Amino acid sequence: MSAMKMYQAPRTLEEVMRAAGETGATIFAGGTDLMPRWSKEIVPRPAAVVDIKAIEGLSGIEVTDGEICIGACTLMSGLDESAALRRAAPILAEAASRIACPQIRNRATLGGNLCNASPAADTAVPLIALDAVVDVAAPGRAGATSREVSITDFFQGPGKTALEPGEVLTRVRFKRPAAVATWAWEKFGTRPAMEIAVASVGVIVEASDGVIERARVAYGSVAPTPLRGHGAEAALVGRRLTDETIGGCVAAARGEISPISDVRASAGYRREMVGVMLRRMLEDARGG
Amino acid sequence: MREVVEKVDLAFEVNGDSVRLAVSPDATLAEALRDDLELNGTKTGCEEGECGACSVLLDGKVVNSCLVLALECGGKSVVTIEGLAREGRLHPMQEAFVNHGAIQCGYCSPGMIMTAYALRLENASPTEAEVRRALEGNLCRCTGYRKIIDAVLSLNNGESRHD
Repeated sequence: MSAMKMYQAPRTLEEVMRAAGETGATIFAGGTDLMPRWSKEIVPRPAAVVDIKAIEGLSGIEVTDGEICIGACTLMSGLDESAALRRAAPILAEAASRIACPQIRNRATLGGNLCNASPAADTAVPLIALDAVVDVAAPGRAGATSREVSITDFFQGPGKTALEPGEVLTRVRFKRPAAVATWAWEKFGTRPAMEIAVASVGVIVEASDGVIERARVAYGSVAPTPLRGHGAEAALVGRRLTDETIGGCVAAARGEISPISDVRASAGYRREMVGVMLRRMLEDARGG
Repeated sequence: MREVVEKVDLAFEVNGDSVRLAVSPDATLAEALRDDLELNGTKTGCEEGECGACSVLLDGKVVNSCLVLALECGGKSVVTIEGLAREGRLHPMQEAFVNHGAIQCGYCSPGMIMTAYALRLENASPTEAEVRRALEGNLCRCTGYRKIIDAVLSLNNGESRHD
């Protein structure tokens, strides 16, 4: 069995990137995904870990009129308890509040939930619906540089992200949704706590005089990555929420997901549940 | 078998006392508490953050000590079940568990009590729904949760708060 020989908690991103580059240290934040894998020997313990929680400016939520900016090390409990986020982007606060349990929410970070790149990542679905981007710090000859990656491009496959070795996700940003936007997010599982989603759906719609002008739909646990529902969105935009529109949107959603059968549910059941959740959300949005 | 690695100094506060230890970089907080400090009230169950038996407070927030590296705790404050009693008297939360028979084998009790204690630090009069939600990460395999929830709720109208 491998041994972890070094733990570092530097104060600057440069030091993190140096550690990750030179010693191949594993970047560590909340540890709630990494540590169970180490203790169960699903993956070997890395020789070195570099903790990014002491870096200044990586925690906290900034809400302005135009934009919401969240540090990668912001805790799930921090998202849940932020009154400003609850007002500005309740879809994300709600998803964070439904992750695991208080002990995990007091440790798990937003950046970690994304970098773990689980197809079931609970915060990914709202962030796709919010058109979020992530800021990635990359080591450069003249100090750290930053690049922006859209949340949909960030996820490359189960456990795979667009991060190159030595890069660090530093922030998540998105435009503040319009005050008139209605939203819904739901995850389906067999119990309310400590549950990995069997399937999840997030929706944000903006309508004017009953006609949908803008729609975002996203799904979790039904594809190799959290997925944006382009087909479902197209079935909504320019239309009123009639039974026909809702039926068309649900059919598009069922067609554009690619669930698998595993220990938590069959592919067919997941497809069915996505349709049920989406239908209920749209019916709620029109008031019945 | 784990490879022997060089230990690293750790200074933190446990139950109000300043503590200095030498720990392996891969040691968890749960291991440091149990193996180095012999504070065996903190239990280890699943060791993957599912069961809550190892719940302790880290800087006032409840966490699973099996999912915290000991070296992350430098300069921080930890409270374990051993830290609740005062001058030989159980904490009111502990007494409530005893009085309500909210214990069977007892293995989950330290974690349950620490989680309930953390809840009441932030919310002095939780509703039943809030108690249930707070305890969602603590498993009891002996009995039901009814007596545990009743014990926590009993403090809403009963004894004065301890600290």
